Amino acid sequence: MTALIQFRLAGFLRTGRAMAPALAGLLTLAVLYGGGRAQPAEAYGVSAVVLFPVLAWQTKILLDVEPDVQRRLALVAVGPARERAAGLLAAAAAGLGLVAVALVFPWLVGGVVGPTHPGDRSIPVGLALGLWAHLLALPGAVALGALASRAVTRSAGYGVAVLAFGAVLVLVLGRTGSVVPWLAPPVLPTARALAGALSGPAALSLTGWALAWAAVALAGYARARHRRA
Amino acid sequence: MWLEDVWLRYHRRGPWVLRGATVCVGPGEAAVVLGRNGVGKSTLLQIAAGVLRPSRGRVTGRPTVVGWVPERFPADQPFTVGGYLTAAGRVAGLSRAEADQAVRRWVDRLGLGPFHAVRLPQLSKGTAQKVGLAQALLRPPGLLVLDEPWEGLDAGARELVPELVGEVLADGGSVLVSDHRGETVRLPGAREWTVADGSVLERAPSGDTAVAVVELAVPAARVADAVARLRADGHHILRVRGHSDPPTATRPGAGPTSEVAR
Repeated sequence: MTALIQFRLAGFLRTGRAMAPALAGLLTLAVLYGGGRAQPAEAYGVSAVVLFPVLAWQTKILLDVEPDVQRRLALVAVGPARERAAGLLAAAAAGLGLVAVALVFPWLVGGVVGPTHPGDRSIPVGLALGLWAHLLALPGAVALGALASRAVTRSAGYGVAVLAFGAVLVLVLGRTGSVVPWLAPPVLPTARALAGALSGPAALSLTGWALAWAAVALAGYARARHRRA
Repeated sequence: MWLEDVWLRYHRRGPWVLRGATVCVGPGEAAVVLGRNGVGKSTLLQIAAGVLRPSRGRVTGRPTVVGWVPERFPADQPFTVGGYLTAAGRVAGLSRAEADQAVRRWVDRLGLGPFHAVRLPQLSKGTAQKVGLAQALLRPPGLLVLDEPWEGLDAGARELVPELVGEVLADGGSVLVSDHRGETVRLPGAREWTVADGSVLERAPSGDTAVAVVELAVPAARVADAVARLRADGHHILRVRGHSDPPTATRPGAGPTSEVAR
C-alpha cells in the first residue's frame, strides 16, 4: 500500500494541478497574516478554519488527477479496501505538507508575536496548539474532499457543489449558537477555544468530535465507493 | 474461477447489462468472450478481474494475482514508461529489485526499450497498449484478463499475444480475452463465451481441439530442423528459448535449449 501512496503522491505533485491548492493556501495565509500581529495559538485557530476548504479541495484534486482506468488498475492490484485507504492516506500526506507551511508561514512574514503580556501562552505552547488545531481540521477536510471526488460524484459540477456546500456548512453550522453544531466538523469551535482559555476536557471533546465526524464522513465515502464499484 | 448467476447494472434504475451469467474457467484454461460492440464484453471481463462488483450473484475462486489489460491504457499520466512500470510492479507487491528486474524483462520482451524514458502521454496508441500489457504481467498472474488485446498493436506484437497467453496457461493460470474482430483463431483450444442480450452462452471446445503445452529440450544445432518438423506435424510453436536466456520465474526447469510446442 505504501507503494500506491507514493505513486499517487507522485502523480499529484508532477502535474501542474498541485499548484492551484498550494497557491490558494499561500494566498489565504498571506491575507490572514497581512493585517497585523497576533498571538500564535489564536492565529493558528483561524488559519485552520480558512485552510479547511483548501485542504478539502486539495484532496479532491489529488484523488481526481488519477484517470479512472488507472484507479481500477490499482484496485485490481491491491483490492478495494487498500485502494481507498491509499488514496486517503496520500491526501492526508499532501495535507500535512500544507499544514507544515501554515505553521511556518506566519513566522516568516511576522504575522505572529511571542508573549507580550503576563498570562500569554509561550511560543512552544502556541505552536503545539496550532499543530493540534490543524491536525483536527485535516481528517474532516480529507473526508469532505473524498466525498466530492469524481469516484463518488461522477460529474465535475456535482463534485464542486459537494465541496462548496460542505465548506459553507462548516462555517454556518460552526457559528456560536448554532442549533446543530455537531453536523459539521468542529473547525470554528476549535478556533474559538484557542482564542480564550482552553481546558483539558474541552480539548479532548473537540478532538473526539473531529475524529468522530471524520469517521462518519469516511464511512459514507467507503459506502459510496462500494456502491459505485 | 466461477461467475455464479451474475447480474449487473451500472445504476440503480439503469438497464441490466448482464442477467444471470454463469460461467467458469479453470486453471490452465482460456476463454474468449465474443459479442457485438456494447453488448457487455468489457463488463463481464471487469467483473471477472474484480474491477466491478456484481449487483447480484457472486464470483468465487478468483486467483490472488490478477493482471487486467484495459481496452484503452490510461496514458494521461505524468510518468515515463520505465517509471510507471516500476511503480506498477511495486504496487503489485514486488520488491524494488524484483520490480526492476521484471520491468527490464518485459520492456525487452515487448520492444519497449526505446521508449523507456518517454513520457506516457507521448506514446502512440499501440505502444501505450504494450505498456498496458506489461503492467499486467510484471507479477505472473493467476488470472490474465485481456480486453481487446490486439487493438492498435503492430503485426509483431499481435503475434506475441497468443505466446503470452500460452505462457500464463502453461503456468496454471487462467486467461480471459475479449475480441470482436475474430482474431481469436490464434488462440486454439480456448473456450468460447458469447455475450448477447445480457446472457453468456458457452461453447466448450470439443475433445480434439483441447490443447496442452509441452516443453522440450533440443540440441542447439538442430533447433531449426526440430521446429520445422513440429510445425509440419501441425503443432503450434509458442516460443524458442536460447541457452543464455535465464530460466524465467514462470517457466522453470528448462534444458540448455528448449522449445515450447503445442
